[in-house]
Amino acid sequence: MSMAVSDNRPFCACSTPPGTSGIAMIRVSGEGAGKILDRCVKIIRTSSDATSVSQMPGYTSAYADFFDPANGNSIDKIIITRYVAPHSYTGSEMADISCHGGSAVKQEILSVLTDNGMRYADPGEFTKTAFAMGKLDINEAEAVMNVINAESSAALRAANSQLNGRLSSRLAEAEERLYRAMALIEMIVEFPEHDDTPENDDEVVRLTRQARDITASLRDSYAKGRILTESMRVVLCGMPNSGKSSLLNALAGYDRAIVTDIPGTTRDTLELLTQINGIPVTLIDTAGIRQTGDKVEAIGVERARKACDEADIVVYLAACDENEEEILRQMRELYSGKDNSNVTLVFSKSDLGINPGSERIKAEAKSLGITSVAEVSTDGDGITGAGTEPVRQIITEFYEKAGGSNSSEIIVLAKRHSDLLASATERLDMALATAEGGLGVDIMSSVIRASLDDIGKITGKTVSVQLADTIFAGFCIGK
Amino acid sequence: MNIEEALMTSNAYYAGEFDAAVVGAGHAGCEAAHACAKLGLNTVLFTLHLDSIANLPCNPSIGGTAKGQLVREIDALGGIMGKVADRCCIQMRMLNRSKGPAVYSPRAQMDRNSYSHAMKCLLEKTDNLLIRQAHITHLLTDNGKVCGVMTESHAVYRASRVVICSGTYMESRTIRGEVIALTGPDGLSRSVGLSSSLADAGVPLLRFKTGTPVRVNGRTVDYDKLTRQDGEHDVPPFSYDNEMRGGKVPEEQVPCWSVWTTDETREVIEANMDRSPLYSGVITGIGPRYCPSIEDKFMRFADKNRHQIFVEPLGRDTEEMYLQGFSTSLPEEIQIKMVRSLPGLENAHIQRSAYAIEYDLVDPLSVRPTLESKIVGGLYTAGQINGSSGYEEAAGQGIIAGINAALSFLGREELILDRSQAYIGVLIDDLVTKGTQEPYRMMTSRAEYRLFLRQDNCDARLTPIGHMVGLVDDERFALYEEKQRRIEEEKDRLASTFIAPSDELAALLESVGSVRPPSGISLAELIKRPQVSYELLAPVDKERKPLSDDVIFAVQTDIKYEGYLKLEKDKIAKFSELENKKLPQDIDYEAIGGLRLEAGQKLNKMRPENVGQASRISGVSPADIQVLLVYLELKKRKDKDGGQ
Repeated sequence: MSMAVSDNRPFCACSTPPGTSGIAMIRVSGEGAGKILDRCVKIIRTSSDATSVSQMPGYTSAYADFFDPANGNSIDKIIITRYVAPHSYTGSEMADISCHGGSAVKQEILSVLTDNGMRYADPGEFTKTAFAMGKLDINEAEAVMNVINAESSAALRAANSQLNGRLSSRLAEAEERLYRAMALIEMIVEFPEHDDTPENDDEVVRLTRQARDITASLRDSYAKGRILTESMRVVLCGMPNSGKSSLLNALAGYDRAIVTDIPGTTRDTLELLTQINGIPVTLIDTAGIRQTGDKVEAIGVERARKACDEADIVVYLAACDENEEEILRQMRELYSGKDNSNVTLVFSKSDLGINPGSERIKAEAKSLGITSVAEVSTDGDGITGAGTEPVRQIITEFYEKAGGSNSSEIIVLAKRHSDLLASATERLDMALATAEGGLGVDIMSSVIRASLDDIGKITGKTVSVQLADTIFAGFCIGK
Repeated sequence: MNIEEALMTSNAYYAGEFDAAVVGAGHAGCEAAHACAKLGLNTVLFTLHLDSIANLPCNPSIGGTAKGQLVREIDALGGIMGKVADRCCIQMRMLNRSKGPAVYSPRAQMDRNSYSHAMKCLLEKTDNLLIRQAHITHLLTDNGKVCGVMTESHAVYRASRVVICSGTYMESRTIRGEVIALTGPDGLSRSVGLSSSLADAGVPLLRFKTGTPVRVNGRTVDYDKLTRQDGEHDVPPFSYDNEMRGGKVPEEQVPCWSVWTTDETREVIEANMDRSPLYSGVITGIGPRYCPSIEDKFMRFADKNRHQIFVEPLGRDTEEMYLQGFSTSLPEEIQIKMVRSLPGLENAHIQRSAYAIEYDLVDPLSVRPTLESKIVGGLYTAGQINGSSGYEEAAGQGIIAGINAALSFLGREELILDRSQAYIGVLIDDLVTKGTQEPYRMMTSRAEYRLFLRQDNCDARLTPIGHMVGLVDDERFALYEEKQRRIEEEKDRLASTFIAPSDELAALLESVGSVRPPSGISLAELIKRPQVSYELLAPVDKERKPLSDDVIFAVQTDIKYEGYLKLEKDKIAKFSELENKKLPQDIDYEAIGGLRLEAGQKLNKMRPENVGQASRISGVSPADIQVLLVYLELKKRKDKDGGQ
């Protein structure tokens, strides 16, 4: 294929708009896409005899499990439609994955795909590939050229809105250190006969480590960046019939979950996108967690545990009329040995008065590292709208802490940036390892340069020009 | 002016026709003329003075970081700089030995007069080549194409390929304080008229500045107060041809010396800065940042109290010494005070003054990567006229300009070395794609693929190209192939020879701080360990056959760097994809839908050779490149449809 530029790995992207929706579609294209999908898709049902994606005939679909081959964890149940070259939109091997529209699900699927050898699509790339493979006629193709720059400038605007702010200055700090480290190496290399060139390996290592810490923390900040750009996942859990569905309905403002007083009514998790004080929030109602003999409910309980692990905030609901010993046992089971800084213990007050065992439960929570405690009001029908205010408050505070409106923390908002920062960090780790391993500085310099290339893909700077300027500005050399 | 018009001027006469005329016999001109002649073109080389051929008017040395790589690349292509340098070498060193093979750089002190003489003799003995002392004042053109040159005495030469390598001579002037002399370097006569002739032909010109330090008589230097620096013997010669035939660097070498400036030096300079033409505004040309004058160093780096100066011999027999790092354009009387402020040079006698020199050059953005002008067909430029600095940078361009002038004359496909193939490629690409604001010096850090562009593998990178072009003869090529065969065989043998973790091996490894392998291990795996060398394993490697140093070095480097080299080769493969997409020269970029206006204008002005070069032009974005790729594909299809 004559138009493949620089990277012929299959590429993927989410084709539906960002944010949470009922269903989302992830599209992948490129030779070898099927082989990669084989690693993370397990077919459950399909019309043919195919047992893997690459065996599926073109234009057929399958109901399947999408999982992470690194740990075997299931991510979502999907419908996958396969296209075989050349009978696809792009003309090469393709697949469309319909998954649940939660933002975390989409991001996880994309992450698994990229971890397993795909890359993110460039702006306009599906259309461009379709053109390159002869799928579009000449008139259509001429429009493609306009699409590329239009999509790219939209992406650029999005990037700039972040880059005008603190992210760019933070990246500049990392770049500045790396240029200084490289200039120190290059000075020694370019002007070796001078006795006054600074031969200071410690300084090079110190600067590289500082830059590495910056790229690593920015890379990690994407966990929060996703909350800001997509939505916050708030998981409601607790003993069966502790009022989770009731709280969900009160927060959402309408009856979404079926509420009865029969414990175990919510057998599967339920997701609901809403806004709380203007913050996009996905509320996840879980099955009540208890030891159970009911097989269907057992699956629900397992899902609830998983939802808690992946939540941004967990609301643990303790109802006044529940068995105190049961609650204590369950809290220990769920939370001991974990970082519980995102867990809030919520008591539901009722006409019956405050839970008599609340002091014991609070003490237990404290010893488990759960410091956030709140109460919600209920009346005869369950939790009232006004009564949810303490929970709304906690969600808002968490969002602010995550960098919502005026946090001083710098947060990476784009997955692409986070990936580039991950690559830069990895290379800097390599550079630090070569310094310890006693290899020549030529290698170290080459690896640092590669990390600057990664950062430059975010900031738009070209390494060689910057490097020469740093050398000349900082050192006095020459004949 | 064309041939006919030139012949109408007073006292004009027709002096003959050549296939190629090279103007200027510095390092660029010598390589260019030699390459043209070797490829069969009837060639004439003009020089302002026959005794200043391949002059070394500044530093009496060849090589150094990045420059040493350039010399070896020129040699690998079949050039002459390395061979002449080997013959005239009086001291040889390998710089950067502790910093990894990728940045090893050979550097040699030259006997300056011998170098010039040896080059003159070599050129005189080259078939198809004639040398002529003459002052070229006019470039003759006809319909936007070169047709010849005319001398100051109105001798008219016809030639359809002209290579101009004017160095720092075009409209030059030298400056010492308030004294301005209309001369070229070393008080030699300058080139007058040629740059106006280029401007008349529409070639855009720039003006740069550079400088050179004083020379002193060594008998007036007290060397006891200086630090001595001797040469090395375990360095290969520059020329691969010499190396493969067992050539060695000279046994008897001459030392260099170093010394530091004093407070007095600083005081003298500070007290007289008002007399510096750089600071008073007399000099307007742009000088190089990496090669500042000593007063510039003190002014720009006020926190540094002292600077290191190197004292280098100009030859084996002469007493004349060069003060590297002490270039200045202050007045002569101040120069004397400055030199005498240096320890050991209190009574030094200056034989030649330092000076700054300004000169005209061509804007390299008007030059193609083949070094042919975008404006005048058949005109090639190489060396300082393209904005570079340094003998090696000049010679590297000279050989490419010469090769391309010849290939174009012969109707053969032109030669462009890209950034992944050679420092020469990086140098030319930087100049013609990004232009330069100051005399451009090659540095290893300018190369993206430095681990691959090493001084030890220039032959593997370029000798097959030199052979294909016709500069490397069959005999030398056979030697080269034999060397490569030995390298590959030895690498295979080391990878497939496993040895047991014996006590003997363990003792050997422990002696260098490495540990016993848990089980049998290949020799190649052992060599990958940082502490372990090929030499070290000799006692346990029973089947080893004697191999030459160059083969051993290549084998060891390839094995030790294997992982990193693979990463770099992957990068090169990606880079090459865009580099291999040629852009037709008749595209109207501003008419391409989807290309931003700025990009369209820049591309129309620059007319890049390929998509890779286009991507390096400032103002052209990655999205523009995507658009270009679609456009190219579209064009290809339309052309195909049209053909059916």
